[in-house]
Amino acid sequence: MNIKISALMLGVMYLGVPFFLGDNDYLIGLVASALIIAGVAVAWALLGNLGGMVSFGHAAFFGVGAYTSAVLTMDYGVPVFVALVVGGVGASLSSIFMMPALRLRGPYFALAILAYAEIFKILATEATGLTGGAGGLLSIPSLPVFAGVDFGTKLGGYIVILNIVTLMLITYYFIRRSSYGLALKAMHDSELATRIVGVPATYLKVVMLLVSAFMTGAVGAFNAHYINFLEPDYAFSGTWTVFPIVAAIFGGYRTLSGPVLGALFIYLVDQLVFKNLIPQGHQLILGVMLAGMIILSPSGLLPVITNLFTRKKADNKRGEAQHA
Amino acid sequence: MLKVENLSVNFGGVRALQDVSFEVQTHEVLGLVGPNGAGKTTSFNVLSGTVRPTAGSVTYEGHDILKSSMHQRVTFGIGRTFQIPQPMHELSVRENLIVAQRFGRPDGKVKQERIDEILESVNLLHKAEADAATELALTERKALEVAKALATEPTLLMLDEVLAGLETTSKKLFMQTLKNIREKYSLSMIVIEHDIETIMNMCDRVVVFNFGKVIADGDPEETFRNPEVVRSYTGEVPA
Repeated sequence: MNIKISALMLGVMYLGVPFFLGDNDYLIGLVASALIIAGVAVAWALLGNLGGMVSFGHAAFFGVGAYTSAVLTMDYGVPVFVALVVGGVGASLSSIFMMPALRLRGPYFALAILAYAEIFKILATEATGLTGGAGGLLSIPSLPVFAGVDFGTKLGGYIVILNIVTLMLITYYFIRRSSYGLALKAMHDSELATRIVGVPATYLKVVMLLVSAFMTGAVGAFNAHYINFLEPDYAFSGTWTVFPIVAAIFGGYRTLSGPVLGALFIYLVDQLVFKNLIPQGHQLILGVMLAGMIILSPSGLLPVITNLFTRKKADNKRGEAQHA
Repeated sequence: MLKVENLSVNFGGVRALQDVSFEVQTHEVLGLVGPNGAGKTTSFNVLSGTVRPTAGSVTYEGHDILKSSMHQRVTFGIGRTFQIPQPMHELSVRENLIVAQRFGRPDGKVKQERIDEILESVNLLHKAEADAATELALTERKALEVAKALATEPTLLMLDEVLAGLETTSKKLFMQTLKNIREKYSLSMIVIEHDIETIMNMCDRVVVFNFGKVIADGDPEETFRNPEVVRSYTGEVPA
């Protein structure tokens, strides 16, 4: 059921959204922004669901990916699409500095990662020659025209970030269904049980951290070329950690597409409804919504929808059986 | 096969193991007995790699296992169970064994026939698709502990109070299952057990612990007549 909902959601995103919203730059831009959060939310959920690591430091990967890609395209003329991938690699490399934190568990790991994120923000501010310092980088190259399609438009950007998120979901899906995925899933609540049968838990955590950092870095790199501007307080902002966490938990971080659903729902409702109702402090309502979701359905929105479908299907079958 | 020499473990000021030495021969079943807190489970924890010793050496089939990770020790052929069963949460019984085979076997190959055979041997085949953490009774959870260890294809199986908490009939059936497994897979075993009848029934030799020290090592019947061993349990010397 989960995979069917994921396929349905992607179908709507690929066909429905461009068809109905393609001409409206404001709305398509909002959906693209929601997908940027969705991308980070998927990467965060991958680390949390497979391996049981709760990170408060994904802003570091987002920022490193963004700056890597921006500097490569501006100073070295690297093509933008290549730079997006290298941005992911840069974020993965930055995560190597965080490896010692993998020895920690629970809140200690989360706080250590948060500290690393702050360190990266300070480094980006101080490395003026490379990053432009607190003043930031202006005129970062836009997404290019490729195969006759201008990806520098709002709709083009939307297609690119949708493809990035789809690739992330496919990667997540295949990791999860592999024997590595089984072991990682089990490590979430029973690490000792996996270690004692030979699972190299630390090695698998390292791999997951590298993958999650790569994904987040690639999304950060995309964002740099989408908005054409970067400065440390923005690129390493806690928003890139908090919003994806809220989205992932709201949508169902232990499901495949729950984080995407959560990001779309949370961001779009916030921007289109709550922001109009309460221009200052509208994020407060998100906090209330998240608390409500955790109380009513701790596993998130997607499991609620899945249960509704399953129950309806069961009711239909029961009805057919009674008629027969 | 397994040689433990002068093993010591300190937890802060507590000396959990002091100069402990014992050996296990191929196809032998060794019982570790002694009062609670004597150091039996700590010995298992050192052998399996969950506790780092303060001093001493442990060799298994020529490997200096204290220099090896938990993962490597499993691939050397050392399997263990826990007194409180540790199923892998969110996985079915079969998936628990798939993970154990995939990561515990040196070649990393998953063989479904082998998994079925193991589940059959511990009377758990009918629960193969059940959720390991929520749908098993105590006896079945204990059986899963043994099955997971077997899936790694061990040559030495360490059983930590695997019969504890079971009622008499289940205990007898489980003991027979363990004997069958030993024969079928030609295993050496180390068994921690409080029940003297079980020890007499299963073990070729016993090592008795008290206050972190080995106080006796030998034939089960003779050892349980040793005055020092009796004193360690009762505080009295037999007449």
